[in-house]
Amino acid sequence: MTTRLTVPAMVAAIVLLTGCSAAAVTAPPEPEGDSTTTNCGIEVSFSNPQRVVTVKSSTTEMLLALGLEDRIVGTAFADGPVPEQWADAAAGIPVISEKVPSEEAVLGLEPDLVYAGWESNFSADGAGERSELQSLGVDTYVSPSACQSLSADHPALTADDIFAEISEVASIFETDATLLVSEQRAALEAVEPISGDRTALWFSSGSDTPFVGGGTGAPQVVLDHLGLTNIAAELGQAWAPFNWEAVVDENPDVIVLVDSAWNSAEKKIGVLEANPVTARLDAVVNHRYLVIPFPASEAGVRTIPAIVELSGQLRELELE
Amino acid sequence: MTIGSRHARPAVAVLAAVLGAVLVASVILAVTFGPADISPGEVWASVMHHLGLGATPLSELRDGIVWELRMPRVLTAAAVGAGLAVSGAVMQALTRNPLADPYLLGLSSGASLGAVIVLLLGAAIILPLAAFLGALVALGLTLTLASSLGRITPSRTILAGVAVSALASALTSLVIFWWVTGDSYREILSWLLGSLAGARWPAVAITFTAILVAGIPILLSGRTLDAFAFGDTSATALGVNVQGVRWSLLAVTALLTGAMVSVSGSIGFVGLILPHAVRLVVGPRHRALLPLVALVGAIFLIWADTAARSLFDPRELPVGIVTAIIGAPVFALLLARRRADA
Amino acid sequence: MSTAGLEVDRVDVSIDGTLIVDGIICSVPPGSVCALIGPNGAGKSTLLRTIAAVEKPDAGSVAFDAQNLHAMARKPRARLVSFVEQDAATEVTLTAREVVALGRTPHQSLWQEESADDRQVVADALQTVGMAGFASRDFASLSGGERQRVLLAKALAQQPRLLLLDEPTNHLDISAGLATLDLLGGLAATGVSVFAALHDLNLALAASDHILVLHRGRAVAFGPTEATLTAELIGEVYGVRADLLQHPATGRPMVAFSSLG
Repeated sequence: MTTRLTVPAMVAAIVLLTGCSAAAVTAPPEPEGDSTTTNCGIEVSFSNPQRVVTVKSSTTEMLLALGLEDRIVGTAFADGPVPEQWADAAAGIPVISEKVPSEEAVLGLEPDLVYAGWESNFSADGAGERSELQSLGVDTYVSPSACQSLSADHPALTADDIFAEISEVASIFETDATLLVSEQRAALEAVEPISGDRTALWFSSGSDTPFVGGGTGAPQVVLDHLGLTNIAAELGQAWAPFNWEAVVDENPDVIVLVDSAWNSAEKKIGVLEANPVTARLDAVVNHRYLVIPFPASEAGVRTIPAIVELSGQLRELELE
Repeated sequence: MTIGSRHARPAVAVLAAVLGAVLVASVILAVTFGPADISPGEVWASVMHHLGLGATPLSELRDGIVWELRMPRVLTAAAVGAGLAVSGAVMQALTRNPLADPYLLGLSSGASLGAVIVLLLGAAIILPLAAFLGALVALGLTLTLASSLGRITPSRTILAGVAVSALASALTSLVIFWWVTGDSYREILSWLLGSLAGARWPAVAITFTAILVAGIPILLSGRTLDAFAFGDTSATALGVNVQGVRWSLLAVTALLTGAMVSVSGSIGFVGLILPHAVRLVVGPRHRALLPLVALVGAIFLIWADTAARSLFDPRELPVGIVTAIIGAPVFALLLARRRADA
Repeated sequence: MSTAGLEVDRVDVSIDGTLIVDGIICSVPPGSVCALIGPNGAGKSTLLRTIAAVEKPDAGSVAFDAQNLHAMARKPRARLVSFVEQDAATEVTLTAREVVALGRTPHQSLWQEESADDRQVVADALQTVGMAGFASRDFASLSGGERQRVLLAKALAQQPRLLLLDEPTNHLDISAGLATLDLLGGLAATGVSVFAALHDLNLALAASDHILVLHRGRAVAFGPTEATLTAELIGEVYGVRADLLQHPATGRPMVAFSSLG
């Protein structure tokens, strides 16, 4: 996830090669030659992809945020509607499939890059194995924050990782993300964490057994910046199954509800209220909920805006 | 001792009393286990409070943990364990097949299909009903298929059950594949593996009622089941209404299993292994086997579920995984023993 | 004709649409042994199973002591008739004693414990077949002949008035086979009607009072053994040459076979 980006090093090398002058150092990098990086354990190189297939909302929205909608030839497996600001840009993009697309459907669009939000999207019965696509001349890229194979002992996700991811994507497409990143940094810095020692549960799905945000992924990043302590922080995964007894024992002050078409915030509230013990939780009795749309709950270009939005919702709860 | 003779079998009444005591002790102990930090004394005080004696020392929430989460779960585990173990023993007798389990006639596959459809439609409220209906539909299909092949015999019924199970499983997989979105597969997986995480007081009501309603006819059938030892002809010659007994016991067992599966999903190995384990000690006579296997089943599942929710605290394993981990090697051992005996 | 004992009156039995047994008439008075013989496929097992009420006849009736066996309730019938089938096998691990105790089922209610009377009957039955010393042995560990005797004891434990047997000497040594037939004779002497399908014609000639000869589902002869079982009949039914001789020790008839032509 926190991949060593050879791109800045290459940019520096190109600048040096084209001549050492003060002007050259401050000039924008010339889009020249391939970029190479290690992505989820696989070495991949890119040549300024022009025909991209995106799988999952996180990747589609990343490209929309970078203004690269013209390069998307097809998308699949969206997790929810695209935010307002990009709706027009997204309007013309063909949707290949509601779920994981088949390899044939992907290849039919003759892409030069498949950009997936989950590592599992690249499977033989999905978009195709990465090695196979590479051998057919199609580059592959997985959102670095979603790399499972690296999750064994890598440190937890941070906001910087997200910014680095945005920058990496930008350099792959040989465009500039500095403005976007600096805007997001500023927005993040402006968020004031709530004072006091408040706890929260990140409730993603499940009824008999809750599936919650753990200590190492996007949910933890969001909660950290909101100043909330994650009651499931000891879980060493981004998302993991938990249990109601532990939730009740901790009695979180706030519950974050992930809202999706297949499992809405309302449904989760229903689950909490139907369970005779969770119905008595302070957060449930007093309706102290924060709602985040599913696509924004995965690490990506919407994480920081989500933090800002949730911070506003948190203030409205008037916990202080 | 000459080859092939056996020690006198232990007195059934004594065993039943001992197991009964162990069951009660298990309930009392198991309810003190859990991720929340509540001392055993506080747990028992809370339970006594709800039974009408004394006040509870716990806050409303933590009292809720004990009485709304742990207690019904332990009681449901006992009922489901007893029900599945007895159903397995009866199935093994009715089909004269030692590898039979309560799910043989498509019951668990049908229940899974019903459950998965309901989970995906988001109507989890009617999950137990859907699972139960699914089980009954699958059973009906099995029996229809078996009778269409001619006279219904145990082996035909088993084969028909295998076919229906395969069909229901395929449909379940299809439904999951086409309609599962996001991470809803997690809930489904948990149900398919068998889990008691959702057991609240309604589940206790369902399972206890099933045990009472179905358990009594089954326990009375012990002597009749023994008469099946040499097959249908022999049983008929001994005065048993073979068809009637078989059908009614099958129906009762199916209802019992259906009720259990509707609450907890298909927990494996309990109905398959425990009858054999108990037979090893008390012998094959059903008048002894049935009540004792019920007690053993209850105790076993209470502790399997306790392990499932405590081993990886605060994460929970579906209890079906624990029973499989224990059951699979025991099953292999059983098979090896049979090959050695044969 | 007396109404005591077994009366089979024009019984037809079909299985899965095929007529197996056609118009059988025979009777077995109490205290006698009747042998049922015929080539393989003649319908012997089907006839026995029908008398045991395991199969239902399409036509005709089976009565014992003037009671229609098929109209009786199951338990009373099981207290009257017991059936030792061919090749009875079990997967269940029972001791010999437990197997014999199964025979007490028609005399017990659902929840009753085994009574002292039951235990006595079981012990006596084991004694009668000469297996008293094997009571605690695993049934599966016994030899074919020993198992056959235990199964016979199970039938005896039912205290039947009519005992039906399907090839009871099949797996037995010669000595065990003769012992079994002696036993059946002894049983008949106590008033039981014994009806046994036998493979070995010489055993039938030695041990039975009456004989029913079946050929392709029809009764080709029925009557007292010596008078009915002629060399011609045997030759016709079995398709061989038969010669009847006198047994040098017992003086009873015996048959020698040779192929035709």
